[in-house]
Amino acid sequence: MAEKKTALRSVGRPRSVDTAQASLALLLNLVRTGTATTRQELERGSELGRAVVADRLATMIDLGLLKEGELGQATGGRAPRQMRFREDAGSLLVSAIDQSSIALGIADLNGQMLVEHHEAARLDAGPEAILERLATIFDWLLKETEKPAPWGMGLALAGPIEKPSAEFEAVHVLQSVQSWQGFPFLERLSMRIGVPIFARSGVQTMTMGEAKAGGGRGLSDIIYVKLGRSISAGLMSEGRLHRGAQGAAGMIGHSRVGDDLLGAIAGADALAREGTAAAEDGRSPYLAQALARQGEISVVDIGHAAQLGDLFCVELLGRCGRMVGEALAPLTNLVNPTLIIIGGIVAESGGDSLLAGIREAVYRQSHPMVSRDLQIMRSQMGASAGLVGAAQVVVEELFSPSILQGWIGHGSPLLHPDFQRVMERYTTTLAPKAATPSGRTAP
Amino acid sequence: MNGKTPGDTAKPIAGLGPHGERAVPADQIQLTEGDAVEAKARRFAVAVVLHTTTSDWSKQELAGIAATLGLYSAAVVEVVDCNFDVELQIAALTRLAREPVDAVISIPIGNTRVAAAHRALAHSGRKLVLLDNAPTGMLPGADYASVVSTDNFGLGQSCAAMLSDHIPPNGAAGILGYGIDFFATHEREIAFRKWMGIHRPDVTLVRERFAELEDAGPAALAMAEKTRGLSGIFAVWDVPAMRAVRALAQQGFDIPVTTVDLGNDVALDMARHGMIKGVGAQMPYDQGSAAARVTVAALLGLSVPPWVALAGREVTPLDVVEAYQVIWHLPAPRAIIDAMRILVATQGHSK
Repeated sequence: MAEKKTALRSVGRPRSVDTAQASLALLLNLVRTGTATTRQELERGSELGRAVVADRLATMIDLGLLKEGELGQATGGRAPRQMRFREDAGSLLVSAIDQSSIALGIADLNGQMLVEHHEAARLDAGPEAILERLATIFDWLLKETEKPAPWGMGLALAGPIEKPSAEFEAVHVLQSVQSWQGFPFLERLSMRIGVPIFARSGVQTMTMGEAKAGGGRGLSDIIYVKLGRSISAGLMSEGRLHRGAQGAAGMIGHSRVGDDLLGAIAGADALAREGTAAAEDGRSPYLAQALARQGEISVVDIGHAAQLGDLFCVELLGRCGRMVGEALAPLTNLVNPTLIIIGGIVAESGGDSLLAGIREAVYRQSHPMVSRDLQIMRSQMGASAGLVGAAQVVVEELFSPSILQGWIGHGSPLLHPDFQRVMERYTTTLAPKAATPSGRTAP
Repeated sequence: MNGKTPGDTAKPIAGLGPHGERAVPADQIQLTEGDAVEAKARRFAVAVVLHTTTSDWSKQELAGIAATLGLYSAAVVEVVDCNFDVELQIAALTRLAREPVDAVISIPIGNTRVAAAHRALAHSGRKLVLLDNAPTGMLPGADYASVVSTDNFGLGQSCAAMLSDHIPPNGAAGILGYGIDFFATHEREIAFRKWMGIHRPDVTLVRERFAELEDAGPAALAMAEKTRGLSGIFAVWDVPAMRAVRALAQQGFDIPVTTVDLGNDVALDMARHGMIKGVGAQMPYDQGSAAARVTVAALLGLSVPPWVALAGREVTPLDVVEAYQVIWHLPAPRAIIDAMRILVATQGHSK
């Protein structure tokens, strides 16, 4: 009888999940970010009524997104039960693809890294090889570590990444590398792994990673500079990553220093060239030995030589630092950061000589108020910054109100109608060329 | 001169560090005479926290640590045996954070589960040097000074290459994997699979996992029984490898096996030309010695690389005695020498 009554009452009334995406999304994000966790706090924070809040919370518990946690602080009367976001309802895949290495990881839905793996790989091996490698390692890692099924993937790639035209739409990546031109990498990877992919430039994810878990933790205004084979910068201003109109913000390697581009005279390849010349003409005894032993000189050798007191290498890294500092100073004056973090292989190898050169140029050319509390430090996160940042990118995208409202009623972003439409289109347009799963988990 | 000693077959470092770092070879970590004088004057106290102190690996690691720290008048004031227990390790680190030690050398045994305790120890002002791996989320500089590790990726590649010689075209190879979230064994298995995928795409790979050592034998047997024509097995370290060898032998199987580390049983099996056909061996004494140098450097305030790596050494049945000496800094046990002699004599007769 009671069931009949309920059924009658429900006739013609849409379920709350169909009509209430906005309130569900709002409440989920309040709980997820820890802004409000008790029912009372949620009512206050959302400005929704008690019955609505109770209904939405019950819905999200049913969907597996929330759970009831421990008792909170009593404010008179019974202690309230706290709501908890289920960060293990799914997992996030993250990857960073660089010129000479790939990094992969799995994070929980809060963006906390659970496992990571780095290995050498060559970008010019081509997109098919990299795609297959990523897919097989992810297959293996997910199975091996028994993590929940993935909900999305954050991908960091070398070079600027254009903003997509619409949510879940793919963009072309790594078009500057010949073998990658015209290859639908994101589409193919998304089909292979079955999750939406959100791509950013490597330097942008590293900036987010440093802000989340590195030297920039708790700071809202930081600049991250990647000194590798190319040079670029990421900017976090008032707690948000600045991507620019096209998504290409931070290409400071294209700044001119004299007649040359900064990237061409202060990048890892340029330093290796100068080191090789000094080894050959006897200006650096240490590098001469290293060249005889290994047949080539890298920036790692230059950094090691500088640590051992090789004067040429100390001077070379100092000069490189000053050139980078000259390019950074105007940016510093423009955005007034609290912290500049220097990362990438040149920074990892360059040691104190490099940092001293950067500091010298930046402090000399900055407004006194800008430089008063400014700190310049070397990254401690290495390539992990890119993974942590990529996880942040997915968290921000999947839980952004516009995307969240599209999937929250279904309990998983994989069921977002727009994502499903995109996947159907890929299946139609790419299926004949799609890489077949290897059938074995062989990373 | 390339700086290598005769008979040194160490390979270049193949893997990347826990944060994607390029390796700094352990032999590049050297202290100057001035550093030594300062270290001796300061008489540092160092504690060592290990997963176990009973394995051959641990004993040699400790020997390398103690001998090298002693050179710099640094005392090993405590050695903690965690007996593979995460809770024991957390308790030990928490206690050491309040005790008068200058530095701790520790091997994390439960990835993220022990991260907080390690981090708290480092934040208490003690220098922390990790062996083998950094728990996910811990950062060099802020949370620890350095990780000193064997190139586990390289070891996995070596084992694949050595096993490949025993696998016929289109054959099958098995992986005896560790069912626990442990960085070093993950890296070995990933590297093994990668090498096979590139160099032997014709080989079908099958796999069984074990979580407890006693399950390693049955797992290997199950693999052999399920896969007809299984031509080789890679076991992720020597103890489960020998469990597998015994279980297989009992059921009449004779399958080539490669593994990591030259434990006594494995060395004896190789000397007898048993199932173990190749080993990628860690150099625990050298690793301990490198960890000690890194620790002293960090205590002196010198900049230390975030990842210091040692290459493994490939061992075959032909050079097991010499390899034993290089790896363990000891003469090979009598049983191994005798087994080699018997084998050589038998081969001489048969000629």
